[in-house]
Amino acid sequence: MPSRRRTLLKVIILGDSGVGKTSLMNQYVNKKFSNQYKATIGADFLTKEVQFEDRLFTLQIWDTAGQERFQSLGVAFYRGADCCVLVYDVNVMKSFDNLNNWREEFLIQASPSDPENFPFVVLGNKVDVDGGNSRVVSEKKARAWCASKGNIPYFETSAKEGVNVEEAFQCIAKNALKTGEEEEIYLPDTIDVGGGSQQRSSGCEC
Amino acid sequence: MHEADIHDLSDDADYAASQQQGSRSISRCSSDKRSEPSGAEVVFLKDNVAIHPTQYASERIRGRLRLIKQGACLFMTWIPYKEIGSGGGAFGHSDARLSDKDRNLYSIRAVPVTDIRSIRRHNPTLGWQYVIVVLSSGLAFPPLYFYNGGVREFLATLKQHAVLVRSADDANLFLLNDFQDPLQRSLSSLELPRAVSVASTSTSESSSSSSVSSERPDDGRSYSEYQKHRQKSNDPARDLSIQVLEKFSLVTKFARETTSHIFREIHSDNLNTNDRKNQAPIVSNSNNDVDNSGLESASTESFVAADPIEFDKMTLVWGKPRQPPLGTEEWVTFLDAEGRILDSKDLRKRIFYGGVEHQLRKEIWKILLGYHDYDSTYAEREYLSSMKKVEYKALKRQWKSISVAQAKKFTKFRERKALIDKDVVRTDRSVTFYDGDDNPNVMLLRDVLLTYSFYNFDLGYCQGMSDLLSPILFVMEDESEAFWCFVALMERLGPNFNRDQSGMHSQLFALSMLVELLDKPLHNYFKQKDCLNYFFCFRWVLIQFKREFHYEQILRMWEVVWTHYLSEHLHLYACVAILKKHRKKIMGEEMDFDTLLKFINDLSGHIDLDATLRDAEALCVCAGENGAALIPPGTPPSLPLESNLLYSQQDEL
Repeated sequence: MPSRRRTLLKVIILGDSGVGKTSLMNQYVNKKFSNQYKATIGADFLTKEVQFEDRLFTLQIWDTAGQERFQSLGVAFYRGADCCVLVYDVNVMKSFDNLNNWREEFLIQASPSDPENFPFVVLGNKVDVDGGNSRVVSEKKARAWCASKGNIPYFETSAKEGVNVEEAFQCIAKNALKTGEEEEIYLPDTIDVGGGSQQRSSGCEC
Repeated sequence: MHEADIHDLSDDADYAASQQQGSRSISRCSSDKRSEPSGAEVVFLKDNVAIHPTQYASERIRGRLRLIKQGACLFMTWIPYKEIGSGGGAFGHSDARLSDKDRNLYSIRAVPVTDIRSIRRHNPTLGWQYVIVVLSSGLAFPPLYFYNGGVREFLATLKQHAVLVRSADDANLFLLNDFQDPLQRSLSSLELPRAVSVASTSTSESSSSSSVSSERPDDGRSYSEYQKHRQKSNDPARDLSIQVLEKFSLVTKFARETTSHIFREIHSDNLNTNDRKNQAPIVSNSNNDVDNSGLESASTESFVAADPIEFDKMTLVWGKPRQPPLGTEEWVTFLDAEGRILDSKDLRKRIFYGGVEHQLRKEIWKILLGYHDYDSTYAEREYLSSMKKVEYKALKRQWKSISVAQAKKFTKFRERKALIDKDVVRTDRSVTFYDGDDNPNVMLLRDVLLTYSFYNFDLGYCQGMSDLLSPILFVMEDESEAFWCFVALMERLGPNFNRDQSGMHSQLFALSMLVELLDKPLHNYFKQKDCLNYFFCFRWVLIQFKREFHYEQILRMWEVVWTHYLSEHLHLYACVAILKKHRKKIMGEEMDFDTLLKFINDLSGHIDLDATLRDAEALCVCAGENGAALIPPGTPPSLPLESNLLYSQQDEL
């Protein structure tokens, strides 16, 4: 069976209002940060070309409204997703507590064919705030949760300062590619995606 | 000539003559070009082409029809002659009963041929040949009567410069596409299936089979793909223009009916300086005598298309022109001595067509929103405001008095406040009123929203509310007044923020019904692409286009929408108007849900407000009672039905 030529990889970013979903997306795609992003209404997305080995992919990154009340729209936006990014603010406990809700809600609404193995990536954002003094969710706690959910890759990021954003999205893209390709293309266990040092990350599970 | 040759038009008399006529036009335009510094060429000119606004011969308006080519764009214009005094010309008396202003309303100023969807030719056995031009927005100009003949030459010239195909169903219906744009070639196969069927299934219809293979569009698409499209879109309601044509007379009548009224008002108020300025070239053009040579008027006319203001105006379809905003002097004429509004409908109508000047908004918005009654006096309004100020303070104290210790045990309050805090600092911060660090107005925004979330605890705070409040606070410049205006607005828009999204779903459903009524092919397209949930319009509807227009424009849009003059749901017709405006692109590029959502989001800041309002108005009139009947009772911003009055909210924040 010939391999399916997938060129579009769809990624959904979820998380509480104000954790930095729009900022992360813009930092990754446009390398820009602004204090003036408005609260996202409905949904929007940006695209970015990424290259793996000799193949080009379009990463379509969906930014969604963070308020629970808008979750029912997810059905329309989540379908066909290849990877889901869960974001919380390391300075807001509630945003971390809600990760589980976001994950479950996503699985219900997107209803992927293989929910057990659907790739998630967790980002603890805003590590720059107050030099880390206001953080309330420890890295250890976050990693423990990720481990308990089937070893979800975890990154600590600052969208404002661009810390770890590129690395996180490299991992996100690889995971999305894995879903997109399913078993139709053989992927070796280790792919060197080119250089990014991942000091604070757990590395990528691909 | 590209796709123009897809269909065998040789049986058509007009086309038999077209090659010669066409080349004559070309040669004329090339000679014109030498005298045209602006680069615009008149490729077709016909005098004594008339519009008959009414059945009365005395009200017929004669003018000059032209096709003007500028760069790659072809424009159609029709400019009425200036009224010639008695004895001024052979036809001088016939227009006696219409003023120049009235007649100018019918001017067709540089409509791009790419905006034209179809042209229907009528050959009555008695009387003049005429054509009806239907725009891609679905609206039509009134019939253009060719007193001196020339329909054939007109069509032939169009064929020279644009893709013109004859409908398979109707020998007198000609469908237009811009030949410059390859995307629209595929569009013609998509949205005009019957026309295409001539080429692809013509064996049984007297064309030779060889033409089947040679005449299909050479646009790079495979034939099977082409066939697939043809079948997919083979819809019984295949020809929108037919439906539209039934409606055009209504629109025409509607425009005509109001013409004199508008201009009387404008004239008497002497507020139309800008409008006049824009119209000036047209009036001076029409100074030209009927007998002016084509060359001379071509050079006068060419700047019509070159002038950016006129470019802007050419989107004028067939709604009424917008009026200048209501000013102070005119405002007091709507009031009796004690401040009551004499005729609320009259006032709402006036605001519908022009909005209000900024300094009046503070006063008038309170009335439009329903915070103050139309029949309240100055004194009653003042009294109510002072009472409401006291009430507001009491409401605000409810959360102001929550101590730190109490807040620790009041999660819902803390979370709600945190959400509002997060949103106010990212609401309209580029607007001077809210910019800079520690701006007190941002704090006011926060206080009003938090107070509202206590006033309507069940509904609470939802994202989007800060967008709705921001312009209100900006206009009111008063915390309590802004709060009560917001309360009044939320009486109508509150359901937009229901946890079950019922208010949004009912509006998006109504929108889909309206599109089905007003643009069946577009509806079918959305259906085929699984886009009927209209979620791509979610932001438009949730906050009434707040994010789509510049700040000062949204003030205008809202006051027009809030008049509820033609409909409580003008914003839905505005959605239809914008979608129709871009229908060619949407269908031509075969946008799927994702692409469509992105396209719609990216329109933000690039939507022409006046054109949208005019089109929305025209569509609203076109839809008439059928449209109103499609919108279920209680659909926001209609007041909720009895049973919906209580918000059945589960706990959230």
